[in-house]
Amino acid sequence: MTTLSLTGVGKSFGRVEVLRDVSLTVPAGTRTAVVGASGSGKSTLLRLIAGFERADAGTIALGPATLADAGRFVPAHRRGIGYVAQDGALFPHLTVEQNVRFGLPRRLRSSARVREVMELASLDAALAGRYPHQLSGGQQQRVALARALAPQPSVVLLDEPFSALDTGLREQTRQAVIDALEASGVTTVLVTHDHDEALSFGGQIAVIAAGRLVQSGSPAAVFDNPASTEIAAFLGAAIVLPASPSSGGADCALGRVEVRHDRTGGAAGARLLIRPAQLALSAANGTHNAVVEDVRPRGSHAELLLRTAGAAPVLIPLRVPAHEGSAYRAGMPVSVTVTGGGVLYPAD
Amino acid sequence: MTRRRSRAVLAAGLAASVLGLTACSDDAETDPVAAASDDTLVVYNAQHEQLTEEWAEAFTEETGIEVVLRNGNDSELGNQLVQEGDDSRADVFLTENSPAISLVENAGLLAPVDQATLDQVPEQYRPASGLWTGIAARSTVFVYNPDELTEAELPASIMDLADPSWQGRWGGAPGGADFQAIVSAILDLEGPDATSAWLDGMKDNATVYQNNIATMKAVNAGEVPGGIIYHYYWFRDQDGTKENSGNTELHFFGNQDPGAFVSVSGGGVLASSENQDAAQQFLAFLTGTTGQEILGTGYSMEYPVASGVAANPALPALDSLQAPAVDPSNLNSVEVTDLMTDAGLL
Amino acid sequence: MTVTSVRTPRSSPPSIALIVVAAVLAAVLLVPLGYVVSVVADVGWGTLEPLIFRPRVGELLVNTVLLVVLGVPLTVLLGVGGAWLVERTTLPGRRFWAIVLVAPLAIPAFVSSYGWASAVPSIHGLSGGLLVAVLAYYPLVYLPALATLRGLDPALEESARSLGLGSWAVFARVVLPQLRLAILGGGLIVALHLLAEYGAFAFIRFDTFTTAIVVQYQSTFAGPAAGALGVVLSVLCLTLLVGEAAARGRARYARVGSGAVRAAVPVRLGTLTAPALLALTALGAAAVGVPLASVVRWLAHGSSWSQPELPSALTQTVLLAGGGAIAAMLVALPLAWLTARHPGPLARLLEGSSYVAASLPAIIVALALVTVTLRVLPGLYQTAFTVVLAYVMIFLPRALVPLRAGIAQAPVALEEMARSLGYPPLLARLRVTVPLLVPSLAAGAALAGLGAANELTATLLLAPTGTRTLATQFWSQASAIDYPAAAPYAVALILLSVPAVALMYAQSRRWGAR
Repeated sequence: MTTLSLTGVGKSFGRVEVLRDVSLTVPAGTRTAVVGASGSGKSTLLRLIAGFERADAGTIALGPATLADAGRFVPAHRRGIGYVAQDGALFPHLTVEQNVRFGLPRRLRSSARVREVMELASLDAALAGRYPHQLSGGQQQRVALARALAPQPSVVLLDEPFSALDTGLREQTRQAVIDALEASGVTTVLVTHDHDEALSFGGQIAVIAAGRLVQSGSPAAVFDNPASTEIAAFLGAAIVLPASPSSGGADCALGRVEVRHDRTGGAAGARLLIRPAQLALSAANGTHNAVVEDVRPRGSHAELLLRTAGAAPVLIPLRVPAHEGSAYRAGMPVSVTVTGGGVLYPAD
Repeated sequence: MTRRRSRAVLAAGLAASVLGLTACSDDAETDPVAAASDDTLVVYNAQHEQLTEEWAEAFTEETGIEVVLRNGNDSELGNQLVQEGDDSRADVFLTENSPAISLVENAGLLAPVDQATLDQVPEQYRPASGLWTGIAARSTVFVYNPDELTEAELPASIMDLADPSWQGRWGGAPGGADFQAIVSAILDLEGPDATSAWLDGMKDNATVYQNNIATMKAVNAGEVPGGIIYHYYWFRDQDGTKENSGNTELHFFGNQDPGAFVSVSGGGVLASSENQDAAQQFLAFLTGTTGQEILGTGYSMEYPVASGVAANPALPALDSLQAPAVDPSNLNSVEVTDLMTDAGLL
Repeated sequence: MTVTSVRTPRSSPPSIALIVVAAVLAAVLLVPLGYVVSVVADVGWGTLEPLIFRPRVGELLVNTVLLVVLGVPLTVLLGVGGAWLVERTTLPGRRFWAIVLVAPLAIPAFVSSYGWASAVPSIHGLSGGLLVAVLAYYPLVYLPALATLRGLDPALEESARSLGLGSWAVFARVVLPQLRLAILGGGLIVALHLLAEYGAFAFIRFDTFTTAIVVQYQSTFAGPAAGALGVVLSVLCLTLLVGEAAARGRARYARVGSGAVRAAVPVRLGTLTAPALLALTALGAAAVGVPLASVVRWLAHGSSWSQPELPSALTQTVLLAGGGAIAAMLVALPLAWLTARHPGPLARLLEGSSYVAASLPAIIVALALVTVTLRVLPGLYQTAFTVVLAYVMIFLPRALVPLRAGIAQAPVALEEMARSLGYPPLLARLRVTVPLLVPSLAAGAALAGLGAANELTATLLLAPTGTRTLATQFWSQASAIDYPAAAPYAVALILLSVPAVALMYAQSRRWGAR
């Protein structure tokens, strides 16, 4: 359990700059999810940490030990960093037990340790003799984790480990993996393109876009106060309305909304970020600030499309429980109230 | 013995070539012949393998000198020796017919044959140059199927076979050195124009076979009425199963006709050989009594030409064949292949 | 588990050493092509023109072109028809017939020709050549067709049926177009074999460029006339190669979506069952029955087994072919590694040159090596090394194809994983990649080695003095019409081929199942 720290890390492939000036600290024993769209450079970041690639700039350190900087490069096999690939990358010619035992030092190659980590990864001991192609996708991922954890690495890196799994299996496997990581207390970095996965993974989330680390912090803090509307939209459904700030609040098409965080820096003209969950909808009695444009029943819920009233109408998609949805019809004026305030950004 | 050694050497060569693909310019490791003991005699053999093997075994038994054969046919090995030049690893060259050895002689690659060896061979069976010697002789014959051809229909001269009346009625193996030697005799006796015309006639008339045996087999099977071959193929088969000649007869042209051509098989020592003594011994052995008796009594059925050894009693006497007088040194293989290539036979 | 989908952000550039090794190998592989070009340059067009534009070359061209133009469609007909019958119909005993149909591959074409010629002595010319060659080579279309049919998603055929197409229309409009790659690829290989075959045609008096080159070689050694014919033959081969690539275009057929392939519902043959069985029986009898019966008949001849040369020929064949197999793997490894691990323009260039080299017939390879070793590298002239080199040039694709598939199965991600588990790079390769490559190394070596064991044409020209292989011994006995003496060699050649054919058959089933 050691703190992993990256300072000013950069990497190019030929003329393509993949990562630029990335600094990130993963405190000992914590979990960090690096989230970004595909092609954002997040997998490369992981490969730099693992030692599969050399960074062009910056420093990567594990506790007091420098793994890589301008003059130093510790090769992958001396880093003591575990790695779990997208599809597990189990050795197809070895059994589960042989896979798990693969990285153990000779003196520790007892079946006791193998059983221990298999148990940690919620793997049935009966699977020990099977070959990878005889396992389900979820089992393969858990074997891959057990294999990475077996030599007790100081850091474990997970590269999109759940993306190849079916939806149901994904949730179940993810929980098993988080439990195992929790129990082993290992410092962990997860790379994913799935914001829900990132937000629910652990203590820290780091958002990466176009090769740059654009924001990091606790999942709650980042979700509450995204550094930009793009990050906000990446982390979940977002409604962005033109707004004009006025003493502690902002006026927008839905009326006056309290400002939770002001990121305008005093610039004139602004946009307000709110989340759909903050909206409450009721049939208009007298005044209305929006009109129902369309209603689409979806079984468990209904999707409404609202058009704000006023000079510059904005379309807002909104999801309501099915029984509420049936109360609305296209063309119906409605009253929308916003609770909990919004985040104010400068205009484009 | 020879075989075991060459196998071991081959294995060594393979190991060397496999272990280091770059170690290729190292002669000693990759070349089985060079690595074989120095006194092993390398014979480029265009004679029948079986005959030369009989010779080689008897020679090794007598002298203890091992012999390794590179088999091919006259023109191939003759041209190969010319292209190899002084780099050749051959010590001795044995042919079925004289043109190929003349080719090598004319390239200046042959060493004079020991006088004692030459003295064993009558003058008409060796060139005046003394650079090679005859070791055996064979006669051109027309093999025919009596069911298809009556005696009266037989060609009086080999030149008749170019006549349109013979279209589709005879066969031969123009790709083989034997046939090419016969053509060289025609060239020597009749001149280039007549030869060229005859080859054009052959192109129209003859069915082409892979070799003499295939020609005889086809005549025997009635696929074609007659064919030009050498005598010994027929006598060997008659002596054995008669499977490929049982239904056939031989017609000797006689009359000093080009078709009565008796071809001399040659043997010579390469000037570049580092085994001159052994090579000369080998030629002396071939033309000596033991070597010639193998021809007279063995499977070969070719005519002995030296040391007064008699031919197999089944054969008509060599001097009864009325062969045309042809100086073996005059036979030109290059011009023959050119003419045959022009005629579209090659 | 689909390891192949492991992402690597970018393929890392290959090491300089690997590039140099691969480039040197590719240059060596291109020696035969260089020879052809140099014949034109050296001898000069003035000498070549009369040698090329003469009636004899016209005859050979007609023979050779007719052979390809008639032979390839016939092999496609037999290959695709046979594959469809055993894979997609209710034919009784489909597993049995599936194996019978591949069996002719185990009989070298020149042995099959010997069998036919001794059974039906009058067989000759174009019709004879076609008969022997089509029977010997149709499995080269049958195998890829079988693999493709096996891998085809039956959903496509079901969709076509639901759109109102009948069985035959489905075959013609859905199945056949998907077989295009198999037909083109198999057809190309058949065509190249037809152009390269010597023994089978020489035996039954059918003249092609290859047989004529051998005759010229025997008459003049490596002279300009042989070179001139070689130029024309090489142009034919390269034309075929380019033509196939153009016809193939960018076509790639793949199953859309995941989910396992279901077995297709077989087509009911009904009243056609009896004719189909009859046709397959006739095919099997002609392609396997006749040659085997001839061999057995001559074996029974008594004198047959007193072949003192047999053990030594067997040993020398095993040594030479074994050397060829190992050398082919050593050459294939860097080339396959480069194309699988570092795809790019360089890899494509090297791969392309290896295919161009392999498309040239054995006779050209042999002529080139005779000429080059004699004139440039006399130290290699008439050595086992040169024979082994020829085998590498001729059989390299047999080694390359399984090896490349094997390397693709062992992605770099697995090595990285081993490194992250504490293994230094070389040890990681040794513990992970090498064990994964063993089956494909073995398959490639077996296919190349067994091909080499049956090789006749190049061996005839290149074998060191005193060396005889099974194939050259067979050839020398068979062309002297000593059929009984040739029979044991024929048996040995067939027995040597069986494992290679079993391997190819297993491979086609596996590819199909993927």
